[in-house]
Amino acid sequence: MIEAVLAGAVRGGSSILFAALGETVSERAGVINLSTEGSMLTGALAAYVVAVETGNAWLGALAGAAAGATLAALHGAMVVWRGANQLATGIVVLFLALGVTALLGRDYVGVGVEGFDRWAVPGLSDIPFVGTILFNQDPLTYLALIAAPLVWLLLYRTRPGLFVRAAGERGEVLFAAGHSPRLVRFGAVTFGGLLAGIGGAQLSTALALNWSENMVAGRGFVAVALVIFAGWNPLGALVGALFFGGVESLQLQLQAQGVSVPADLLNALPYLATLTVLVVLSRKRLHAAPEGLARVFEISR
Amino acid sequence: MTALRRLRPPDPAVLGRDLLRWGSAVVIGLAGFAFFVAAVGADPFEALSAMWRAAVVDPIGPGEVLVYAAPVILAALAVAIPARAGLWNLGGEGQITMGVVGATVASHMIPSSLDSWAALPLLAVGAAIAGAIWCGIAAVLRVSVNLNEAISSLLLSYVALRVLDYLVNGPWKDPGSLGIPQAEPLPASQQLPLLDWLPVFGGGRLHAGILVAVLALAVVLFASRRTVWGFRLRVVGGNPEAARRAGLPVKQLIITAMLAGGAIAGLAGFVQLTGVEGAAKGGIAGVYGFLGFLVSWLGRHDPVAILIGAVVVGGIAVGGDALQIDAGLPAASINILLALLLLAVLGRRGRARGAEG
Repeated sequence: MIEAVLAGAVRGGSSILFAALGETVSERAGVINLSTEGSMLTGALAAYVVAVETGNAWLGALAGAAAGATLAALHGAMVVWRGANQLATGIVVLFLALGVTALLGRDYVGVGVEGFDRWAVPGLSDIPFVGTILFNQDPLTYLALIAAPLVWLLLYRTRPGLFVRAAGERGEVLFAAGHSPRLVRFGAVTFGGLLAGIGGAQLSTALALNWSENMVAGRGFVAVALVIFAGWNPLGALVGALFFGGVESLQLQLQAQGVSVPADLLNALPYLATLTVLVVLSRKRLHAAPEGLARVFEISR
Repeated sequence: MTALRRLRPPDPAVLGRDLLRWGSAVVIGLAGFAFFVAAVGADPFEALSAMWRAAVVDPIGPGEVLVYAAPVILAALAVAIPARAGLWNLGGEGQITMGVVGATVASHMIPSSLDSWAALPLLAVGAAIAGAIWCGIAAVLRVSVNLNEAISSLLLSYVALRVLDYLVNGPWKDPGSLGIPQAEPLPASQQLPLLDWLPVFGGGRLHAGILVAVLALAVVLFASRRTVWGFRLRVVGGNPEAARRAGLPVKQLIITAMLAGGAIAGLAGFVQLTGVEGAAKGGIAGVYGFLGFLVSWLGRHDPVAILIGAVVVGGIAVGGDALQIDAGLPAASINILLALLLLAVLGRRGRARGAEG
């Protein structure tokens, strides 16, 4: 039972993890993208359609990444070059994603897909307990788990990562050093959408094996919240995503066991937990926030 | 400078520029929408004309537009009031949902002997209180631990949605609803009356909810332009530090602005419950909170602009229904038109603001 819950936590949390990692990069560069949810949606649909039409789930994941990145690029272009308000633009872009995926996806509702199978890692998956939880998952989930430390390395140990963080803290410094903070921000937002798109692909072609209208159902907003929860740290996002996936998985398992739980209230738990952590750590978290982000919230006009 | 400009009423030149901006945005939105409709093999002209017929030509169309506009007006006002004090209320969905919960609780508390329209105001009060509490949580977190209200109100929305889901799946579940998770229908006396007598708009589903919305709009207009409270909110929004030094009770203003916003969002829940759905059910808040946010923001949080914006959004929403019924396209496709239209406006606005520095 515990094994099943934890395995489900990893599998269910990985789409949120992708999105949260993407949003971390975006916000590190000073751009909040409320349309992370939208990038997940377009990613989920694009991956599903391509996987159905070609029979190749990997091509689908690529398409999902591209679709998520395209949508995020629209957000990036609007806020970076047109100076549009970040929160409002994010919601508008999300509406665009809701509409486009509802329209273009209508012929794929209920169509079966050959998505990702689980890959048992030879040897490791035989380890009792840990093997089932970590080493008997779909390939995109492995990718998510690897992506968390990779994004950390990218942000803190590479030159592009330094540029991203500089763009979020003090764009002027980057400018003075002869680089374009706008280009860096645009790139970071687009890269964030790419990761969210893969997260969407995991959702439709590995987890649900199904497409339905608005199937992301708020996971993108959870990802945005997790980024703050994690203090803009990719490794913290890993913890948060697993926690969220865990609660979801626990609830499914309890239901399967016939234990009567108010599932809807349990569903509210991750949001309440995120809120609680934000309250408890708010002072510390505020210090961790990229300076460019703080400005977004200060101006409401 | 910007603070000073905000205190002045909008001048005609700005209004003219806004009209031009919206006109070109409509063209861009329609063209983009037509492109996507054609992409799935449907006839874009057929789709657009079905939308036009539903919202304008159909005798009940104008009334339908107002049915959709009412919650949008209220949701937009819920954003506009806190915005005057420089606050983001992104939790409209949650406050609307709690409004539905509050109104239903009030309905349960009303003895069945009170079988008259006197019960309706009590439901409205219940809805307003519940919405205000939900928004108030975000306000208190803002002034006590400085947690950003945009994030907290957004998170609280998801909690509220689950609370309503729980209630209609569990304690409130109507045994007669055959498995559909919804509460028992409200008695007829607790439903908003239809405005059958109204020329042009009456005759269809149009109910008194639009009057609630317009009344709320008038109150907000008066409160923000003619009261000390409204003036102080704008001072806080313009420069909180200056407001503090001038001795204004900034925390108190922040909390009252959020409470007022939440109460009005709660009223949107009341209107949807008693005017449209007739019973509490999950998803009743739709995306009205986000729509209200966008309408308020694009209208610079001005009540008159909100009225116009909400009617436009209402018309588009009616068009969405027509798409589903007449053209067999998902109603949500209409979000494409809405989003492209708004993107065009946002882009132009952004450039104008960039020029201002």
